Amino acid sequence: MKPDRYSQLLALMSLSLALIATALVATALVATPAIAQNASPAKTAAAADAQSVGAPAASGPANASDYVGAETCKTCHEDIYDNWAKTPHWKTTLNTKGGPSKQGCEACHGPGRAHVESGGDISKIFVFKKASVKTIDDTCLSCHAGGAEHMHAINSVHGQNEVSCIDCHSPHHAKTREFLLVKAQPELCYSCHLAKKAEFEMPFHHRVNEGLIQCTDCHNPHGTERAMQLRTSSTLDAVCYKCHTEKQGPFVFEHEPVKVEGCTSCHLTHGGPNPHMLRVSNVNLLCLQCHTMTPTGASVGSPPGTPSFHSQETFFKSCTLCHSQIHGSNFDPTFFK
Amino acid sequence: MRVDIMRNDTRIGVLTAAVIISLFVPLAARAQGDDEETKGVEAGSYNIQQSIEAGYREDWLNGNQDTYDTFVNLDSGLRLFDYSLDMRSLDHNGFLFDNLDFTNFGYGGDPNDVSRLRIEKNKWYNFSLLFRRDKNFWDYNLLANPFNPAVSTPAIAIPTSPHALDLVRRMQDYNLTLFPQSRVRIRAGYSHDRDEGPGSFTTDGGTIAIFNQQYSYTTDAYHVGADFRVLPKTTISYDQFLTYFKQNNVITDNPAGSGFVLANGTPVDPGIIWSSSGPVEILPCAAPIATAPNVVNPTCNAYLGYSQINAPHNFMPTERLQFQSNYFNRFETSGSLGYSNADNFVTPSEVVNDLVSRTGARGSTAGGPASAKRVTVDGDWSGTYAVTDKFRILDMFRYDNWRIPGYWGFDETSIFGQMQPGVTGLLQPQALFTAANFYSICPAPYTEASCPAHTTSSAADVTDGSTYTFLGQNIRSNNFELQYDFTPHLSGRVGYVYTSRTIADFSASFDSAEVYFAGGAKATAANDFLAARGACAKPAACTETVDPTSGQIISLTFAGAAAGNDTSRNVIGISENAALVGFTARPMSDLRITADFEFGYNDYAFTRISPRQMQSYKVDARYNPRSWINIDGAIDIHENRDNISSINDLEHGRHYSFVTTLMPNSIVFFNLGYTYTDIYSQAQICYYNNSSGPVPTNACPASLGYAPPAVSALGFYSSNQNFAYGNINWKPAKRLTATVGFSGSFVSGSTTEINALQVPGTLAFNYLTPTLGIRYDVYRGLSYLTTWNYYGYDEKGQASDRIPGLAPIPTADFNGSTATFAFRYAF
Repeated sequence: MKPDRYSQLLALMSLSLALIATALVATALVATPAIAQNASPAKTAAAADAQSVGAPAASGPANASDYVGAETCKTCHEDIYDNWAKTPHWKTTLNTKGGPSKQGCEACHGPGRAHVESGGDISKIFVFKKASVKTIDDTCLSCHAGGAEHMHAINSVHGQNEVSCIDCHSPHHAKTREFLLVKAQPELCYSCHLAKKAEFEMPFHHRVNEGLIQCTDCHNPHGTERAMQLRTSSTLDAVCYKCHTEKQGPFVFEHEPVKVEGCTSCHLTHGGPNPHMLRVSNVNLLCLQCHTMTPTGASVGSPPGTPSFHSQETFFKSCTLCHSQIHGSNFDPTFFK
Repeated sequence: MRVDIMRNDTRIGVLTAAVIISLFVPLAARAQGDDEETKGVEAGSYNIQQSIEAGYREDWLNGNQDTYDTFVNLDSGLRLFDYSLDMRSLDHNGFLFDNLDFTNFGYGGDPNDVSRLRIEKNKWYNFSLLFRRDKNFWDYNLLANPFNPAVSTPAIAIPTSPHALDLVRRMQDYNLTLFPQSRVRIRAGYSHDRDEGPGSFTTDGGTIAIFNQQYSYTTDAYHVGADFRVLPKTTISYDQFLTYFKQNNVITDNPAGSGFVLANGTPVDPGIIWSSSGPVEILPCAAPIATAPNVVNPTCNAYLGYSQINAPHNFMPTERLQFQSNYFNRFETSGSLGYSNADNFVTPSEVVNDLVSRTGARGSTAGGPASAKRVTVDGDWSGTYAVTDKFRILDMFRYDNWRIPGYWGFDETSIFGQMQPGVTGLLQPQALFTAANFYSICPAPYTEASCPAHTTSSAADVTDGSTYTFLGQNIRSNNFELQYDFTPHLSGRVGYVYTSRTIADFSASFDSAEVYFAGGAKATAANDFLAARGACAKPAACTETVDPTSGQIISLTFAGAAAGNDTSRNVIGISENAALVGFTARPMSDLRITADFEFGYNDYAFTRISPRQMQSYKVDARYNPRSWINIDGAIDIHENRDNISSINDLEHGRHYSFVTTLMPNSIVFFNLGYTYTDIYSQAQICYYNNSSGPVPTNACPASLGYAPPAVSALGFYSSNQNFAYGNINWKPAKRLTATVGFSGSFVSGSTTEINALQVPGTLAFNYLTPTLGIRYDVYRGLSYLTTWNYYGYDEKGQASDRIPGLAPIPTADFNGSTATFAFRYAF
């Protein structure tokens, strides 16, 4: 089926806009030199936020003499330092290779001399809480970009919705040792995704509240190339198959919607009131909503309807009693076995 | 099946002792108190902190044990509720590691046990281990008894779900990163997932019996990869994955367990459907019991034996190249390209010893080699260009192409009874006929004494051939967005997503030999002694095999495309368009509002419940008027429809939530939340109900292929869900912390009643889970904890209440409580 004129027009517009954007990008790339590698991320971030924070550190390139070292910070911020010293971020103090801009507190907060010499004026140092989300994220990603978790940070829906790194992570006051979260999962996720808590409290649910699995087992909060920030299985397939591998196949006889439309055609993902987390309470209704014949030309794929001997009485009250291998079968086109 | 069990009283003594000890120990220790958990001990060059929480859990239950175990499954016994070990190098330069974290919970019998281990040494390595055990019990009996109206004779109650299971899954994940801070970072991983245990299985046959299924799934996944950070501000990653899956499920029937026998004493399984009154399906037969109490009529549909071995092995190598770069000023980009090639091999085998009265078959076999392959190419690219500090252009492109070709070289036989005078149905021996022995066993004139008991509706005796299948999808999607920061407090975004999908499928079967042996009641020369069945109904289309000596017919053989074969490839193209609009506003420093809206239109739908028009509205607001007050609200609405009159698909999911959290001081913490959810879906459906009855008044058009006429109805499901929860943490004294909590789901709903015996099940229920907890800090890291949890499940409208005459069905309701008595010691 070919797209109609309306779709073609929209596609053409999209393509045109993409081409314009590409041209703009290419022009900018040619015109823009690469950033020096040893520029301090915090300094760059501070520059971006100079107006809102008013950090004088951003007024020009920092010299090595602008940095005071973490031990100096500790003299006033001992509690924060002690907490921080128990975290992996402390390792930055060992990074002598990168120079003072890569070490300790100032690796994130920028050069501290002006702050120290002013007697602790917070306008003279980079303060995350007062910075924009983009600046915060850029600061963190200057070290954490790349790698398996942050490879697609550019696609992060959290980032687009101005949820910054420090909304979930706290280098100084973390409640979890792993990933320095401000709150343990799943409560951390529930604090924004309010309705999801209700779903996981339903009788039939994935064991998230029990601690068996975590939200981040299926979603990558830092962004992925897929909708809902979903991860993929190791075979580039739906993340569901990481655990439900037996339903992945490939099968000789595929129940086509499972692979084409995904598990969510029939199942809720977090939890729900119905057995097997089905979208409806009666499995036969779910089947019949698709397996009803549709007139030719109705712009919909047409799976077979139910035959006349499939009376919804006795024998045929549950489709899955016979079609028990409904996710796919290797030797039965009707998914009986 | 475990119903209405009040747990045994023998544990009362243990419980009483625990309570008494728990009451006295805190009092005795009060004078020595210190409310701080230990700061650990220093040993060698490490600070070591440990904590252990262990104790006893008691549970009480009134009601349905199976439902409780399906939902909660917490039993009594000694438990390790928590153990953690934290080792931290004092100078961040330990000999083997700098940091080690080890946490555990659930051991001793809880359904979920988890251990996590993380070890790291600065520039050298990070290692993590995750072990999870999940005991998955499932026996929610929604379907069994409604098959069995009490008017049937006898009225048999089936207490267990036909699809019950009791599995244990053990998952292990190991990940190692070498040189995590270097320009070249090496990663390796291994995962092992084992899922096993007993369950049940049902399939199509003369009737439906609950077979025993021994589940056995094993997945081993290996992973190696490297991150190259050689280029400035750029990471390039390459990963290889190898996943190996094997299934060794064994399905068998145990007729002896049914309690029924044939007249000759042979155990027989008449299945779970006992409906002797019609009007459509009379199973296992009109008069199942030949001799009370348990001798079964041999002409009933029933099983004498069943076995299925289906052991697919999947080998799934995958490789993926990813990159991420912000090398260029104002331009960030990332992307990936992956390739996966999964192969599945299996030689299934099914052997059935039963009687199917409608075809006369006394058994069957099925097998033959099968294989399928999944080839996936998956790529994406994203780029963001900051035109100015306030204006950004974002483009994301995704390509996903997969195809699944499959093959099955099928080899199926239908086994028939050897007709013997005075012996019928299940009492007849299975006749093992081949072309070589047929004439000697069943010579003309094909008498009932020794020939196969074919009927005119009997399937082919032997079917050999090949089935070829194909399913594939090609997705190309582009998302173009413009993002603009109007002020430091207001940013907006607008975008357009175009997705093109092409879906192709194909399935065709070719019979190399579809063999019909002669013999059976009503066999005459005119119908080739009943060889002329199925594809050989017109004998001229088939090849006769005759006995070379006598010249008499043995069989008819058909070769060619199977009946109804469609060798054409179906191709569907779908163009999807969606507009995106969103904004984030901070009108006050303590208020953030985020909104995202999406409006989509597709020109085609793959299924009848795939929407062609979509709308999505998401609004979140977070208000922090004080540092100790959080007020959050969210609206999440999805509206989908395909309003073609013959489909009339309409769906919505509407969620409205708020939560308030108050933490005015270190003594009191309070939160209260509520979510209202409105779920609705509908589509026009056609179905048969009582096909031998009158023509339905509202019938689906015969032009669609429904002959005789089928019932036309609007198939709908509506669910209104209220979820409320609240918690209060109160620390009335330095050493004492009390917790009171409540959460409850209140669900009401309605749905199309397809059948009068349909069970409402979970359509409407209340599920309440209040909690109480007390923690008393006894002495320097030692605390005593007691918690009480209640689980109350109350369905509204049980089938047995609602449908007079239905065979007794156990209520799914339960009232369960658990209490834990534990000590926590941190040192």
